[in-house]
Amino acid sequence: MREVIVAEEGEILDVELSENLLKMNEELASKNRELLKKHGIKSVEIMGSIGSGKTSLIAEMVKRLKEKYRIGFIAGDLTTTIDSDRISKNGVDVVQINTGKECHLDANLVMKALERLDLEALDLLFIENVGNLICPAEFRLGSEKRVVVVSITEGPFMVVKHPFIFMEADVAVINKIDLAEAMGIEVSKLEKDALTINPRIKVVKTNCRTGGGIPKVIEALGL
Amino acid sequence: MHEYSMTVSLVNAVLREAKKKNSKKVLEVHLSVGSLSLLAHEQLKFWYKVLGKGTILEGSNLRISVEEGEVECEDCGYKGPIRYEERLYDHLFFPTVSCPRCGSFVKVVKGRECIIKSIKMVI
Ligand SMILES: Nc1nc2c(ncn2[C@@H]2O[C@H](COP(=O)(O)OP(=O)(O)OP(=O)(O)O)[C@@H](O)[C@H]2O)c(=O)[nH]1
Ligand SMILES: [Mg+2]
Ligand SMILES: [Zn+2]
Repeated sequence: MREVIVAEEGEILDVELSENLLKMNEELASKNRELLKKHGIKSVEIMGSIGSGKTSLIAEMVKRLKEKYRIGFIAGDLTTTIDSDRISKNGVDVVQINTGKECHLDANLVMKALERLDLEALDLLFIENVGNLICPAEFRLGSEKRVVVVSITEGPFMVVKHPFIFMEADVAVINKIDLAEAMGIEVSKLEKDALTINPRIKVVKTNCRTGGGIPKVIEALGL
Repeated sequence: MHEYSMTVSLVNAVLREAKKKNSKKVLEVHLSVGSLSLLAHEQLKFWYKVLGKGTILEGSNLRISVEEGEVECEDCGYKGPIRYEERLYDHLFFPTVSCPRCGSFVKVVKGRECIIKSIKMVI
């Protein structure tokens, strides 16, 4: 007689796993970072809420840095090319990523954008993330430095309501300081909040319409 | 806000594991989400339900547990829970990357992950 042992129909199995769903992005981000490093390219990601002044900040920095570096720009936007058009006017190499409905860039999208740039012809890369203070904190892209831009018009609690992005950033830019009085905002409080969340963050106050404070941002980024 | 794409990855991973075991039905998935991750649990559950429809995941339970944030300080050697700042007058309570012992910047070593821990399935 031959005995066959089979798992009983309907047996319950508990499969142990340890799969980090965010790990894939982290790995691709490391690859991007290595690739940029290999080509000797300095890289800066600009995060911040919608309309806080991300593109204006990049435009102001490009103005002051275009003689020193050959600059590239990756623009993340939901659907339009307005921002990339603004920057490409300055002779900057631009790749646009339309994220469609996604609320943030990820390392995979940036990797694809990097394939479209001539890395041999670049010394400095700016990446503008989609306007959002939440999701970009979770997805590193692989840039050397991360900047978060908030503006005065977003109110007095903007910083403390979004601790995660300030935990992640190297530099915090408080923009539109020309509107502080009209808005009744104490800029020093925002600055203190950012430092409470992240004691290492460098805070710079700017007016991107006049260029005020931009040299300090450049200095904080070591450019 | 990126719960949708995260749940797509989750469902795909679970279906892949179930297929490996020739399972006909998944009963429960245990997901561990870091307290410093920005994923909203209710939204993960919502998308799990929607995306699982019509698959062997339909009707299964997504159990989510929280993994607390942990940090490490290079300056004083502190290793332990992340420090929260509390401001009662503004009803604010938020995490910081400042060392609870010496105030220096600390590195987050735990609490950012989103890990599938286990899958209970019928074979
Ligand atoms: N008053 C004032 N306005 C500013 C300043 N910086 C930018 N703006 C204005 O704010 C608006 C938005 O600026 P953008 O640079 O397009 O902001 P953004 O963050 O790139 O916007 P999105 O990419 O659409 O999220 C524009 O009308 C700018 O002219 C500033 O320092 N002061
Ligand atoms: Mg912009
Ligand atoms: Zn310490």
